[in-house]
Amino acid sequence: MGKQTTEMLKGTLEGVVLAILAGQPAYGYEITAWLREQGFSDIAEGTVYALLVRVEQRGLVDVEKVPSEKGPPRKVYSLNAQGREYLDEFWKAWSFLSERLEQLREGGK
Amino acid sequence: MLISKMLHDKRRYRQYKARVKQLPENYRTAVEAIERYLMYFVPTDDDSAVSEFEDLAELFEQAASDETPIREIVGDDPVEFVETFVQNYTKGGYVPDEERKRLLRGIARAIEDEGVI
Repeated sequence: MGKQTTEMLKGTLEGVVLAILAGQPAYGYEITAWLREQGFSDIAEGTVYALLVRVEQRGLVDVEKVPSEKGPPRKVYSLNAQGREYLDEFWKAWSFLSERLEQLREGGK
Repeated sequence: MLISKMLHDKRRYRQYKARVKQLPENYRTAVEAIERYLMYFVPTDDDSAVSEFEDLAELFEQAASDETPIREIVGDDPVEFVETFVQNYTKGGYVPDEERKRLLRGIARAIEDEGVI
């Protein structure tokens, strides 16, 4: 994954993670693994974890502790109503940004 | 001591220390490097300072049980990881450059021990 991609992803990672959680509840490691599968190979598990702590503190997700076969219980995150609202805002912002950037690219040709 | 001033809830802090002691050695090395670096940030309140350490322990306990390599936990830039992490608990603080180097050395040592590099 290129340096530019990493930098750009940083600004959108919160929305990306909430969008993943909109699909289904997940725990931190699953989210990191999914991102890596999608080609975001530089994503650190700690970065996703810190982000999950933040969205939890802001009340955008609900958390359930689920016992795991080995090791400590896993915190499973799911999007709540407030998180859905936030995600809608994120997609609006994303549409705005991508439209403007596309215009810029067309204009520059 | 800075820690006892910072953390009113010593019991929770001692529990955190005990949890870290249970980790496999290289994970413990990484946690201790991060813990040292965290000490340079000024927490917003005592509770968030303790939560910070508890969350750190939780991340590494989970990673240890999943056998996630340390490099995949902290990423290519441990300083950036810790600074992102710490923003959840504090408005930030003064960090001398020497401490950044010490954090990188601690992580490098932890990774060396697990034989990834």
